[in-house]
Amino acid sequence: MNDALDVTLRLLIVFVVFLSFPLIVGQTEHKVMAHMQGRLGPMYAGGFHGWAQLVADGVKFAQKEDVVPAGADRRIFQLAPAVALLPYLLVLLAIPIGPGEGAAGQVVDAGIFFVLAVMGVGVLGSLMAGWASANKFSLLGGLRTAAQLLAYELPMLLTAASVAMAAGTVSLIGILDAFEWWWLPWQIVGAIVFFVAGLAELQRPPFDMPVADSEIIFGAYTEYTGLRFALFLLAEYAGIVVLCGLTTVLFLGGWHGPWGADGLGWVWTLLKTAVLAFIVIWLRVTYPRLREDQLQKLSWTLLVPLSLAQIALTGIVKVVIQ
Amino acid sequence: MTLAATVGRLAADPMSTAAGSPGFLSPTGVEIAFLLVGLVTFGAAVVTVTTRQLVHAALWLVVALGGLAVEYLLLTAEFIAWVQVLIYVGSVVVLLLFGLMLTRAPIGRSPDADSGNRWAALTVAVAAAAALVWVVVDAFRTTWIDLDGPAAGSTRVTGASLFQNWVLPFEALSVLLLAALVGAIVLSRKAKADSARTARATSAERDTPAALAEPDTRSDTEGAR
Amino acid sequence: MAEPLPPTRPRIPGSGLAKGLAVTLRTMTRKTVTEQYPDAQPELPPRTRGVIGLFEENCTVCMLCARECPDWCIYIDSHKETVPAATPGGRDRSRNVLDRFAIDFSLCMYCGICIEVCPFDALFWSPEFEYSETDIRDLTHERDKLREWMWTVPAPPALDPGAEEPKELAAARKTADKLAAQQEADRATEPHADEQARAAEQPTRPAGDSKQQTDQPRPEQEGRE
Repeated sequence: MNDALDVTLRLLIVFVVFLSFPLIVGQTEHKVMAHMQGRLGPMYAGGFHGWAQLVADGVKFAQKEDVVPAGADRRIFQLAPAVALLPYLLVLLAIPIGPGEGAAGQVVDAGIFFVLAVMGVGVLGSLMAGWASANKFSLLGGLRTAAQLLAYELPMLLTAASVAMAAGTVSLIGILDAFEWWWLPWQIVGAIVFFVAGLAELQRPPFDMPVADSEIIFGAYTEYTGLRFALFLLAEYAGIVVLCGLTTVLFLGGWHGPWGADGLGWVWTLLKTAVLAFIVIWLRVTYPRLREDQLQKLSWTLLVPLSLAQIALTGIVKVVIQ
Repeated sequence: MTLAATVGRLAADPMSTAAGSPGFLSPTGVEIAFLLVGLVTFGAAVVTVTTRQLVHAALWLVVALGGLAVEYLLLTAEFIAWVQVLIYVGSVVVLLLFGLMLTRAPIGRSPDADSGNRWAALTVAVAAAAALVWVVVDAFRTTWIDLDGPAAGSTRVTGASLFQNWVLPFEALSVLLLAALVGAIVLSRKAKADSARTARATSAERDTPAALAEPDTRSDTEGAR
Repeated sequence: MAEPLPPTRPRIPGSGLAKGLAVTLRTMTRKTVTEQYPDAQPELPPRTRGVIGLFEENCTVCMLCARECPDWCIYIDSHKETVPAATPGGRDRSRNVLDRFAIDFSLCMYCGICIEVCPFDALFWSPEFEYSETDIRDLTHERDKLREWMWTVPAPPALDPGAEEPKELAAARKTADKLAAQQEADRATEPHADEQARAAEQPTRPAGDSKQQTDQPRPEQEGRE
């Protein structure tokens, strides 16, 4: 019975985190982006500096009509948002927040593979949406999504493998247990490659060619309205949380910090994740969108070689240490 | 689906300890789950090859491959399960869908999706399946996987057996894949060179565009480096 | 820190990317330029062209504004009144009386030609801009409204310290000087009656105009809620 209670409690916590963190990231994006552009951002909803803007948005989405285009493949069209969103929920289950029993992330032995595999499934949602909408722009968006995923999955995997090599385990907890501070400079190239590839996989600017609104409206999500559209947006922001959490766990040492080791480990994890989320927003504000060919070029001619070099470096250092 | 399986496994664990000795008559929870998932996988696979909607076929393939991953998971081969999801669902099916979208992306039934020699295909499929089943059954016979002990398919165990007992096939496969990779690069580069030559030939006929096109392509390749 | 990968440039790789990041970060620490308009009134520059006000005492119903208006958005009605002769035995004079002066601001394109063309300085730019209506027909504003806006017209900005005198003042002074000189001369010789009369007449008008413009009340925030 204790097991079942544990599982339900854990699911509940993850669900709450899943619902709140993406909203926090979204609100931060509103405000940070606005101030980086010399604006104020939302100021009215909720009274104090528009803190309830995303809640208001959610209410608005819920009120909207749920339209399915006549030519669309109804069932797949309606299923796609769930396919896009659920994997991130699953991944959140596996990310360790702090050391010890209380935190999630104990269940999975091959943690890295679990996380990367399930994140890859999420992209299927975009593909399904792109195809089932019966819309040229959606189809183009789906195509670009697929091409981008194929290009960026590889460097992401390779850099994750580099960390796994360094730690000698593929379990996320095991990696954190083995973490030493000097891994930071050792794996820095891998960290950057992983982060950039993850951004590309999430289709965040500057890698948002699949949803480039100025040329293909909103890519695969063009035909979506109301709650289903909101689910796609939620998936994007949940993806940011997951990516930042993963980068934190894999490359930045998760709950390890200069002080406050016992009991406050989760604060470090959350802090590092928040800083990374800020960087995600910062990058979005700063850089213009990459063209499709530049996207592919960046991955195949820069990220993949860099990640291979990182693996070589990891291997050499590992052998030298032993 | 995988979540359900994980939870199911957690819930089923105490039951399997109670089951005691292996036997077909008193199936444990894991065995029941295994059978059910197997049925789902089989059904999805059948739909994959019988449906006339091409993209639906690809998506049913996702279900079938996911079901396989769950089966691996139920047999405690966690690493294999996630790799299955990562490679097949995450990459192969995406590639498949990419190909479909790039070419036709038909919505609705494709009447020409049926092949005329379906009976031959069926025969081959049944023969292959029979051979596989026979080989597997013959190889393992009455081997029982003890699900309650230390996981037999954890990453550590899988890695150890892969690099101790099966290192030669592994290396052979690696070389094969490498050869395929090099071959693909050679083919694509040859095609590129051909197209570049034809482009140069056509642009040479027109005078001014040639001068414009040349530095352009050069800067492009420089950017690539 | 996690800035994306360096571009292929001969300079320090990534310096451009870092520069971009620095710009956005610096902007974030600075004060925003957003004007929270309904909560805070905007700082309008002098000579803001918000709406057109009418100083109807100056209007002589010459119709120049209505005729020059590219949109034909000015409506003027008037009638003639006969003013009895001021002196016995004199001739009765007729005078135009303004009945209606309306501007349709749904048509007006704020070119300002009417203001430029008015020979008697009856039309002015007012900085008032909050006059939206829920019905497009209500945007045709009549003379009372146009007059209200007149009181929001600010005084013309002061001249620069070393600036030339305004044309009107210069002309007035010149005429006055001339007149004085003539009167000096008159003491000696017999004056030409008609010239003197014209000279006496001239200074009044332009000087009167400029005085009127500066004497207007300056209730800057009057029309705003």
